[in-house]
Amino acid sequence: MNERARLSGISLLPIASSVMAIVMAFVIGGIFLEANGKDALHAYRILFERGLINGDGLTETFKKMAPMLIVSAGLLIALRASVWNIGIDGQFMVGALLAGVAGAHLSGSVPNPLMWSIAAIAGIAGGLLWAVVPALLMVKFKLNEIITTLLMNYVAVYVTAWLAKGPFKDPDRVAPQTPKIPLEDRLPFIPGTEVHIGLIVGLISVVVVAILFRSTVYGFCLDVVGRNRRAAIHAGFPVGRLAGSALLLSGAFAGLAGANDVLGIQGLFKANWNPGYGFTAFALVYLARLNSLLIIPFAFFFSFLLVGGDSMPRRADVPTYFVEMLEGLMLICFAVAVYLERRWHVISERLRGRPDDRVEPETSSGVESLEGLEASS
Amino acid sequence: MTDGMPTTQPAPEARPIVAMRDIDKRFGPVQANDRVDLTLYPGEIHAVLGENGAGKTTLMNILSGMYQPDSGSIALDGTPVTIGSPSEALALGIGTVYQHFTLVPNLSVIENVMLGTKTGFVLNLSRGEQQLNELLAGFELNTDPTTEVRHLSIGQRQRVEIIKVLFRGTRVLLLDEPTSVLTPSEVDGLFRILHRLREEGVSVVIITHKLEEALDVSDRVTILRGGKNVGELGPAEIVAAGRAGARQQIVETMFGGMPAAVETFQQHVATGETLLELQRVSAMGDRGEMAIRDLSLQLRAGEIYGIAGVDGNGQKELGEIIAGQRKTTSGQLIFDGQDFTNKGVATLSRAGVGYITDDRMGEGVVPGMSVAQNAALKTINRAPFSKGFFLNRKAIEENANALIEQFSVKTPSADTRITLLSGGNIQKLMLARELAMNPRVIVCNKPTYGLDLKTAQFVVKTLREEADSGKAVLLISSELDEILEISDRIGVIYNGEIVETFDRTQIDVETIGRLMLSGRAAAQESAA
Amino acid sequence: MTINGIDVTDFLTAMLATGLLRAVPLVLASLGDVFAQKAGLLNLGIEGMMLSGCFFGFYAAYHTESVTYGLLAGMAAGLALALLFAFLTVQLRVDQVLVGLAITIFGAGLTGYLFRDLFGGQNVSAAVRPMTIRIPLLADIPIAGKALFDRQALFYLCWLLVPVFAFVLNRTRFGLNVRAVGENPFAADAAGVNVIQVRYLAMALAGIMAGFAGAFLAVADLKIFTIGMTVGQGFIALAITMIGGWSPWKIAFGAILFGMLNALGDSLQIIGVGVRTEFIGMFPYIGIMIAMIVLARRTSVPAALGIPYARGQR
Repeated sequence: MNERARLSGISLLPIASSVMAIVMAFVIGGIFLEANGKDALHAYRILFERGLINGDGLTETFKKMAPMLIVSAGLLIALRASVWNIGIDGQFMVGALLAGVAGAHLSGSVPNPLMWSIAAIAGIAGGLLWAVVPALLMVKFKLNEIITTLLMNYVAVYVTAWLAKGPFKDPDRVAPQTPKIPLEDRLPFIPGTEVHIGLIVGLISVVVVAILFRSTVYGFCLDVVGRNRRAAIHAGFPVGRLAGSALLLSGAFAGLAGANDVLGIQGLFKANWNPGYGFTAFALVYLARLNSLLIIPFAFFFSFLLVGGDSMPRRADVPTYFVEMLEGLMLICFAVAVYLERRWHVISERLRGRPDDRVEPETSSGVESLEGLEASS
Repeated sequence: MTDGMPTTQPAPEARPIVAMRDIDKRFGPVQANDRVDLTLYPGEIHAVLGENGAGKTTLMNILSGMYQPDSGSIALDGTPVTIGSPSEALALGIGTVYQHFTLVPNLSVIENVMLGTKTGFVLNLSRGEQQLNELLAGFELNTDPTTEVRHLSIGQRQRVEIIKVLFRGTRVLLLDEPTSVLTPSEVDGLFRILHRLREEGVSVVIITHKLEEALDVSDRVTILRGGKNVGELGPAEIVAAGRAGARQQIVETMFGGMPAAVETFQQHVATGETLLELQRVSAMGDRGEMAIRDLSLQLRAGEIYGIAGVDGNGQKELGEIIAGQRKTTSGQLIFDGQDFTNKGVATLSRAGVGYITDDRMGEGVVPGMSVAQNAALKTINRAPFSKGFFLNRKAIEENANALIEQFSVKTPSADTRITLLSGGNIQKLMLARELAMNPRVIVCNKPTYGLDLKTAQFVVKTLREEADSGKAVLLISSELDEILEISDRIGVIYNGEIVETFDRTQIDVETIGRLMLSGRAAAQESAA
Repeated sequence: MTINGIDVTDFLTAMLATGLLRAVPLVLASLGDVFAQKAGLLNLGIEGMMLSGCFFGFYAAYHTESVTYGLLAGMAAGLALALLFAFLTVQLRVDQVLVGLAITIFGAGLTGYLFRDLFGGQNVSAAVRPMTIRIPLLADIPIAGKALFDRQALFYLCWLLVPVFAFVLNRTRFGLNVRAVGENPFAADAAGVNVIQVRYLAMALAGIMAGFAGAFLAVADLKIFTIGMTVGQGFIALAITMIGGWSPWKIAFGAILFGMLNALGDSLQIIGVGVRTEFIGMFPYIGIMIAMIVLARRTSVPAALGIPYARGQR
């Protein structure tokens, strides 16, 4: 696509529909709040003020952004290969637990950077390990990964709780949790801020994934598998291995995100602690139209939503679950936007009178529409 | 076959049961039907003849309610009607048997027949069964109505299709290319049924591109070309002209003024070494059936080996086996003296076997990716397109531009999405992509399917040149003409076996035709 | 009867009684989902529909103190989300996985919000008294008697739905249409079946049943609502539907099996065997995956599952 075509609005359309979906979700959410007897404008002001404007809130937002970025980068790898990893939460928890155990075990006895690295690797290993089962079931037994990854989430809740209550429990405490990593051994702040360096890890993760899809053979192959699996078979790609590896990598990133939260903020893993990033990341990556670099602004957006949402119960009498509801609404509105966009393509091409017998298949998931942004820049 | 000529059915020049007038239908810029007329009289068999792309199927889809015409009118028994959907067509007494059968394989015969009928909430299967059994007997369908359709043969399924529409009181029966999937004896059976239906007063429209069959079965012939009516022969005219005369007349109408047939290529006797050999190979099809049985063949350097056969006799599977895309259950694939059995696409492609699939959009290209990306698809992990882990975007683009130039692919740029190209240009690109890998064996499945004449000629010429330069080409096609035109040797495939091989010098079209339709049995019959 | 000081009779009675009760929401949701899947719809929104059934069922039952109103409210909630799903996937032909997950997220958020807002997150229970029926004589049979024949009226009704759904699927016009539409929508359309309408109806039924399942759980069984109380049971129901080969009878069997796995922890506690609950809690999830591995290859998925239908496109 040449420069002009790319700027002519057609390739901006995908982002426009995401933004439109978000606006619509806010409008519907607002109507819901009003109908529920709340002051919607006040609630939204709190949401934005706290997550976006207030200094402490903004720090919180940037802290939240780190796991968002990492998890979404990983999820993108899977979704671009049309592998539905809905098991982010489980992978995150196992990663967090292992990182917490490794970190606490090593802190004080080895230099911190080494401890962080090992804990991060433990986290990555944990997330990856948790993706092994669904990946094997998908490749070897052709079992639908949507269901297996979902089920593995619930297994993870029980397994991590059991480990945090049993073998890995902090013996000095009553609560079922792993030993604490002392405050001074946590990840350092980015100079001049109170945001730990996990944010940088997050940004690097996204950039790495962007490079993966822009410039590597592996990324290219994953894209082919995602867009037309049969073409990948025809071209001689090891499709099973590619799809399986995408799921594993995706799990590894989720595990890294778990390590990041434990090393940067929590310092330990508590039984049943599950921040539930999975569904948020799913909404995020979809609204970013499966485009790697667009993850960054959308991660910021979703982070401040979550942070702002935390203040809503106290200051606007709106339960935090409102944010989760809003995410669902965004995806529902996004589904409508994808439809409208498809209609728009049909109409605009009819107006322009395109060449004759070409075949333009319907894009079902909105995956196709971002080519102008990712592949040809 | 039947006695050949239309029977003595008196020309019912009464009021037509169906009168389609000035039917226009556009698909984007393509005018599929251009002021087409079709007149069907009660109790006649009416053939609509035309080449691929002449607009026959579009016309039929309009009558069956699948498509809406852009303009024009349809009258049924003299009353103007609009047919908004297939169910409306059925309600009006117009039933359609599609080329791709529309039975649900997991449902039983009776469930398929009753599907969509409007009776009570609870299915009264026993009553339906009774009615059905009467119909079945008349249709030579020796099967229990509770059998699931997937267990039936193709010919049986077609009869179930016909029964299905008759079950709803169809007065007008539309058949789209009904013989394309049938064996000759099944064709006879079908024609017997159609004649019987005519006697019962059903009007039949049969859409076909097979002239002989049209003459065999029909009372009236309408000829379409390029979306327009170009001729109609009524019963009187057919009788008057005699079979040979009618044939001559129709051929002139269908092909008159066409560009001269493609240049016939120099006969070429392949004497090269054997490059690739299949030794008693068997393999399964996608649905787990034996698609290839004990098949052996040799490809020699410098030859084009044509595979002739009716669609669905294992052609696709054969191509995929050689390409390494389909696993064999027994037998060996020898290429260049080495065993490559089940080594996979990547290995065979590297070794020098290229495969051009017939399923362009389904597996040939990646929709949504650019022309350049698609052009490099199969060699993305080789120099110069990648260095180790990383892509070389510049090389990918340069390669695409070179191929576009060399094969005159019409595209705005190498960055254009592949789906914006026409079928012919996509085919050229796939051919270019394969040849750029410089394979020593090229397998082509239906390389000219759906292409305009000029592009088709270009593709055929390119393949001939490749063979002349010492490569081995396996050309799979359902167009016998194309195979006859450029092949040095021809193998006839029937039911997953190569039943006979011919050298170019000993080609006998009639024998090939018979073998295609009924395998070795026919060959023995004719020898006897 | 005791072994090593453990009362086996008590254990078995508890297993059977609790297991069958736990199986009810699964079988209800699965029975509905058969119709959705057979019609070609992969309903990942089932978890959200079930959860909504829990909340709205509980809410209505809490205020009316009536089981019936509770169940009706739950069904209505499931139906509403199902119609949304059908509109987006059948009418607008948007990806089913995307829409399904959107609805599940929305359902989780909505019920969480409303529960916090309306009940302040307090665990209150609905004062409902479901009618029980004790079948004389049969209820006196050891072990099975108490588990099978001394239950809520609703319990019997739910299990009676299994043959009803089997009949509807296999012996009625609607069932035939559903089976055809999920296998070959083009054929169904050509035969005069309104594909869009059949898919809407199938989805509506699936939504009502998912809502019913949730309402049963919250109203008739537990009588309380907790946030996220379905803990993946909707997804398990979806998997049971597949494992059961879309046959209501096999699905009932599968649901009972997983109900038993679910009940294992409770039953062991009743008889005082100390097993870590975390350990037992994961049984159903692992069990279902194992069942999928064992049974997956024997079943053939409806050919058009997950694929939108538009006339003139094949």
